[in-house]
Amino acid sequence: MTATVFTHVSKSFGQVRAVDDLSLTLHPGETVALLGPNGAGKSTTLDLLLGLRTPDSGTVEVFGTTPRRAIAEGRVGAVLQSGGLMEEVTVRELVRLACDLHPRAHPVAEVMAAAGLESVADRKVDKLSGGQEQRVRFALATAGASDLLILDEPTTGMDVSARQAFWEAMRGQVKQGRTVLFATHYLEEADAVADRVLVLQGGRLVADGTAAEIKARAGVRRIVFDLDTPPEESALRALPRVTDVEITGRTVRIRSTDADATVHAVYAAGLYPRHLEVAGLGLEQAFLAITESSEKEKEVAAR
Amino acid sequence: MRTLARLEILRVLRNRKFMFFSVLYPVLLFMILTAGQKAAMVPYYMVAMCAFGAMTAVLMGNSERIARERDKGWVRQLRLTALPGRGYVLAKVAAAATVSLPSILLVLLAGGAVKGVRMAAWQWAGVLLTSWAGSFVFAALGVAIGYVASAETARPVAMIAYFGLALLGGLWVPFDSFPGWLRDIANLLPARPYAALGQAVESGRAPHAGDVAVLVVYGLVFAATAAWMYRKDTAKA
Repeated sequence: MTATVFTHVSKSFGQVRAVDDLSLTLHPGETVALLGPNGAGKSTTLDLLLGLRTPDSGTVEVFGTTPRRAIAEGRVGAVLQSGGLMEEVTVRELVRLACDLHPRAHPVAEVMAAAGLESVADRKVDKLSGGQEQRVRFALATAGASDLLILDEPTTGMDVSARQAFWEAMRGQVKQGRTVLFATHYLEEADAVADRVLVLQGGRLVADGTAAEIKARAGVRRIVFDLDTPPEESALRALPRVTDVEITGRTVRIRSTDADATVHAVYAAGLYPRHLEVAGLGLEQAFLAITESSEKEKEVAAR
Repeated sequence: MRTLARLEILRVLRNRKFMFFSVLYPVLLFMILTAGQKAAMVPYYMVAMCAFGAMTAVLMGNSERIARERDKGWVRQLRLTALPGRGYVLAKVAAAATVSLPSILLVLLAGGAVKGVRMAAWQWAGVLLTSWAGSFVFAALGVAIGYVASAETARPVAMIAYFGLALLGGLWVPFDSFPGWLRDIANLLPARPYAALGQAVESGRAPHAGDVAVLVVYGLVFAATAAWMYRKDTAKA
């Protein structure tokens, strides 16, 4: 059984195609990060997954049924950025409500503890800080044994330690076999937490793989070394697979699409590199490389 | 579902300012309207103000609050739970009914204790019951308005709805002074049948079946519309 299947889903708002012929499948037990620049269609994708919006064309299936049905069965929990909280009630009252409404609810005390809310249990919801509010949302999403958790920028407004605590709690959820899909702006979160990364741009899926694969897909690796004698740039540029060369003093920085071949050629050319380092791009740079190149492709196609 | 209704009622009770004005407004209006009136008209206005007060409280309370909750995204969050649309509407109607009951009681108390209205015990109970039960219809209308309007427009829309309905329903001027054609229209709008229930009881008769039918139909239409819009609510991202 698949957790979620999008089949050729499109959704427009007026002239804007927020989601454009999107097809993807989420498998049970996966932790998936959804990345993309602002306006890439992340929120709309999550809305469609949760049945808050209906696609113009295509189908969205959650655990083999409609999103609405899956939610009614208690299989899906979600934290939305746009989701507000009920006012004039205490944190405990609100969490109790969420537990009461969930068909497979956990005990209230357990949910409160997992979300780290005991210290503010009797505080009014409208008197919470941004980070505390976010923890309440998390508690609402985890009020019961949902199989799929959807989190839209879950750590926004949290400080570093709260963020770490949040992901700690999240790992607990994953260990229980949940499928987790989260949209985020923090690429290091995607790198550290997700075992699969989806990159959306212009409502289309431009990359889908592990963080390592995404980095590799960006193609380039960085080679850095020092030379005893000031190197000649044209010679370095002539090496195989080199896409860019940068020389500062005696330090050479090369970008290559095949680091092995390039490094081999460096030695073959009779050079003697010192302090040789070969590194992949960070996810952030890879992400930028992918979104930029897909932007360029689009421009070329438009011409 | 019961937890939601309980929580909604609790929220209304905690909102003391709203409670205070909603409960006092109809009884004050009743005292003002009957100040220079003949004693024979007082029972008519008493029943009319029970209806008007209850209507005001439930319409204003629900519509504005719901529009704001939509604006803040609470309804969106709630839609991610297993709660069915009717559960939401029922909870909101229950919360509104918590406000309308004391406002009706207070008008009746003022009528009996201050204005010297005399009725049989069953009539007091009957007026209370019909005024209260009828207010559910307007509570449902309030939920529907909360969905049609935005946070900014909910209050004016609700005001227009309740002033218009109250005026056409003969809650401020005696219904008998209406021309015939207006009476025909009023009988098909919800406020007149609503007030007529209590007035029938007050004059010693049973409520008219036609009035009950009109109200039930309106109640069902308003509630169904509200429940449908809760599920749909695509206007607000």
